[in-house]
Amino acid sequence: MEIQTQEYKRIAVVTVTGRIDSATSADLEAALQALIDKGKKNLVLDLAGVEFLSSSGLRVLVNAFKACKGAGELCIAQPSERAASSLSIAGVDTLFAIHPTREAAVASF
Amino acid sequence: MSVRRLTIPGRLEAIEAACECVEAGAQDAGFDESTSYACQLAVAEACENIVIHGYGRQAGGDIRLEVSAAPGALTIRLEDSAPPFNPARRPDDQEWDRHDPPVGGLGLHIIHRVMDRVSYARRASHNRLTMRKHLARTSG
Repeated sequence: MEIQTQEYKRIAVVTVTGRIDSATSADLEAALQALIDKGKKNLVLDLAGVEFLSSSGLRVLVNAFKACKGAGELCIAQPSERAASSLSIAGVDTLFAIHPTREAAVASF
Repeated sequence: MSVRRLTIPGRLEAIEAACECVEAGAQDAGFDESTSYACQLAVAEACENIVIHGYGRQAGGDIRLEVSAAPGALTIRLEDSAPPFNPARRPDDQEWDRHDPPVGGLGLHIIHRVMDRVSYARRASHNRLTMRKHLARTSG
């Protein structure tokens, strides 16, 4: 799994590629928590390159969503078919705002 | 019919190999990519439960995997030597509260959403979890 973070004035975009599972989700959790600790609570999570998303990764997303709520929002951009499938199977697809493109996600703030 | 057998160490890093074994079996069964991925997700969740809750992340235990494929049907069997744990009990459907979404129990929820049959047996100090997936039959 690779994580790239781009910070802007009002938002941060986190691009994740590869496999988000129990072996890797702690790294994503740390990356998101570092942004939240800096007060970055408007987050775009670009999941276009995600090949696998297990419940461990979903838990990280839900926890980050809860941490941002109130002061901001965590939304998802262009999830891969597999990432979208995991969100749907787990029943959390209605929880997040999911945008078809990264640009649309950024523009939503 | 094809049968694949694989033994992986009870470590989180080894679970990907179990998914690859299921992916190959799903291909033999003629599953599409979406159904294959769902089965891989289910086996990953079951293995994660074994490693984290069964073995308590301690090294030493293995997971034996057997994947049997027939046209339109896949059977996945997992065996481990962890203390008894029955994942075949279907969890309550979770009601998602947008203001306070729960984060626990997702793995079992996923297994039961994905697989058509989930059964469990405890034999000779081993947990045996069997999960089956069938392609929907079309009339005609």
